[in-house]
Amino acid sequence: MTDDAIPTSAPRRPGLLGASAQFGLFAIVALLWLVFSTLAPGFTSPINLFSIGRSLAIDIVIGFSQMVVLATGGMNLAVGSIGVCAVMASGFLLQDLGLPIPLALAGALALGAALGWLNGVAIVRTGVNAFIITLASASLFLGAMLILTKAVPYNGLPPEIGAFGRMRIGGYVSPLLIIALAIGAALYVLYRHSALGRQILAAGANPRAAAMSGVPVDRVIVISHTLSGLLAATAGLMIVARLGAAMPSVGGEEWLLPSFLGPVLGGTLLAGGSVAVVGTIIGAALVTTIRSGLLVLQIGNFWLQLFLGLILLAAVMADRYRGIFVERRSMGRR
Amino acid sequence: MHLAIESASKAFPGVQALDNVSLELRPGEIHALMGENGAGKSTLIKIITGLYRPDGGRLLVDGREVSFQSPRDAIAAGISAVHQERNLIPRFSVGENILLERLPTHRGLLDREAIHREARRYLDLLDRGIDTRAEVRTLSVAQMQIVEIAKALSLETKCLLMDEPTASITEHETVALFSLLRRLRDEGAAIVFVSHKLEEVFAIADRVTVLRDGRNAAIGEPMSAMTRQRLISLMVGREERIVERPQRTVETDVVLEASGINTAFGHRDISFALRRGEILGLYGLVGAGRSELARAIVGDIPVTGGALRLKGKAVRIRDMHEALDHHRIGYISEDRKQEGLILAHSIRENIAVTIWKRLAGMLGLIAPPAEARAVLPYVERLEIRTPSIEQTVGNLSGGNQQKVSVAKWLAANVEILIIDEPTVGIDIKTKAYLHELIHEIAEAGTSVLLISSDMPEMVALADRILVMHGKRLVGEVANGRRYETVSRAIMNRIHAVEEERPAAAE
Repeated sequence: MTDDAIPTSAPRRPGLLGASAQFGLFAIVALLWLVFSTLAPGFTSPINLFSIGRSLAIDIVIGFSQMVVLATGGMNLAVGSIGVCAVMASGFLLQDLGLPIPLALAGALALGAALGWLNGVAIVRTGVNAFIITLASASLFLGAMLILTKAVPYNGLPPEIGAFGRMRIGGYVSPLLIIALAIGAALYVLYRHSALGRQILAAGANPRAAAMSGVPVDRVIVISHTLSGLLAATAGLMIVARLGAAMPSVGGEEWLLPSFLGPVLGGTLLAGGSVAVVGTIIGAALVTTIRSGLLVLQIGNFWLQLFLGLILLAAVMADRYRGIFVERRSMGRR
Repeated sequence: MHLAIESASKAFPGVQALDNVSLELRPGEIHALMGENGAGKSTLIKIITGLYRPDGGRLLVDGREVSFQSPRDAIAAGISAVHQERNLIPRFSVGENILLERLPTHRGLLDREAIHREARRYLDLLDRGIDTRAEVRTLSVAQMQIVEIAKALSLETKCLLMDEPTASITEHETVALFSLLRRLRDEGAAIVFVSHKLEEVFAIADRVTVLRDGRNAAIGEPMSAMTRQRLISLMVGREERIVERPQRTVETDVVLEASGINTAFGHRDISFALRRGEILGLYGLVGAGRSELARAIVGDIPVTGGALRLKGKAVRIRDMHEALDHHRIGYISEDRKQEGLILAHSIRENIAVTIWKRLAGMLGLIAPPAEARAVLPYVERLEIRTPSIEQTVGNLSGGNQQKVSVAKWLAANVEILIIDEPTVGIDIKTKAYLHELIHEIAEAGTSVLLISSDMPEMVALADRILVMHGKRLVGEVANGRRYETVSRAIMNRIHAVEEERPAAAE
């Protein structure tokens, strides 16, 4: 066989189906925008666009924090708990200790990464699955945070924090959104072009085969959970910037649904071994759009839960269909 | 039962797997179905057993046209099959797996005694050594294959389709299976037998149908009129050249040395030395513990005693990652679907998995062109047939999959390569190719530990052959390349031990 006979630029694994799923998702988001902006002219006002962008940034990063562990075939039910721990840690470091802002934020991020690392180590050492470990640690982290902070919010943060959250670039773009997209770009490069990212996906698709090919599977799982914790903390700090305060009521279980919605809607396989960074962003956009649209139309929060639940069901069914499709394609055939 | 396929066709995305293929199966015959990997044998069997729906053509059972919607329909019509893929439930017992379709009950509850009694009956036809109460996941690949066959037998159908039933079992079990198949045939059963081993086909088949590239190359020709050379040329479209390799002279410096190794699997006092550029064979019956010894060397099974030395230095290897990164040892698994490959990923990713670390430049990033450049030579050298290196490995034929799992270890450029059953279920052409390749890499200085149940393969390739039995090494046979002498010497070693320790079988 000659060089020319083997093109190297054929479609990627998620292939047409993955791409068309993302396109379909994009079409749904666009349709919702059309509906909401028709029903409520205020939906596309600069102030609302700014607000949507800011929420979107947070939803995207929450989605990423789940996506990076889904890649390994695991899950992290503690993303919300880690997020709120980082929130309160930043409040403590800024207000009580009076550390300079960069140092305090770095400390909060480090705490998030450390909690994620703990999850990863516990999973690898005990061999118990990620569901149980992170279910337990979610409660543990949240409980410890409440005990230590007595659930008292930090309202006296430096004004620069809140100012950053209110900052608008070009009239309606929040810098938070730019940060979220930059993180997305970094993750894209990680999974597409780095040795570590490839190893993570290999370990997620078939841990046994990966291990027998010399991939340090345990290390890769710990790294993924550490990254998940770091991203959850990042999302937490974005909320601090938005509120201008560190509240113990943000995060927690509230993040769980959106964290799965973004990646799963976007085409990340729950079974592991395949991620969709762009899909996660579009999936997060759907969540944010529905939330904002219902708010603008003044439909109650109860409906939001109902809608998000319905969408997750639809997404899981789509995931199942994709799983079967991948399975069929990989059946031995001669 | 009389079964006929008339002009069956089946296409998969990008592949015409079958194109107007016919097969006629008469009661009271053993019908060989031959062809290279990718010729369409398994697809044809899956159509007959209702796993695939044909795009065109007819399926006739006793002259009546039928259309199976599922494997259940086929079983109801009296057709059972042993497929290449494992269809066992790992956490169920052997007995439950064999009788899965119709577990005996007593007052509405499972009758465990009856399960094991019934299962025993079928299992004993082939192998008395497998416990019906053992969980399937604890069995070796060969034992699982025996269970698969027993499961198909237990359906007592008049039509039995066997897709490479002997691929991973020993000669001893093959002999038992053959006498059983002959008896079933004499009782009027119609049997389709797929195998890549010509000796077996000539030993057992009455007629043969040959597929080549999804088309019939021969339909139901009597084996009595068939010669070895003609059958080969029907399959590959050219004459086979059997390579007679001379004995090699191997360098004397020892690369890997085991002295008195015990393992958690139960190996006792294993000692041997592997020299630079040597092909050291490791032969043994099922359950002898050959693959497990390989796993112990790469750290997948704990070594509990003795010493492992690499170039004279004692080492402790904890996992495959250390084996590859620190000691440059590779391991080609016998179980390519579970351990050798990531079926849902591309050829590129499957081959590059061992070299990502090496390809990564600044910040651990890999330039895609560099990765393709690293992978392509192996795709070409091994003649992996694919439209693109982005093809999902699960879409490749068995032979091409095996080439991918070999390619990634060639790419890794290891010093010691453990190769476990490299040509199980591989067509003649690919097999000859892989043999040539193993010879080449040894000539280039790589030390090879070759595990194989295929005696001709062992004799063709190995410089020396270690004989393993009951988790111990029981002898070493110099390979004089004379098949008769070498194989007799090996079997003598094994049976001598059997007689010394008659209770060892249980």
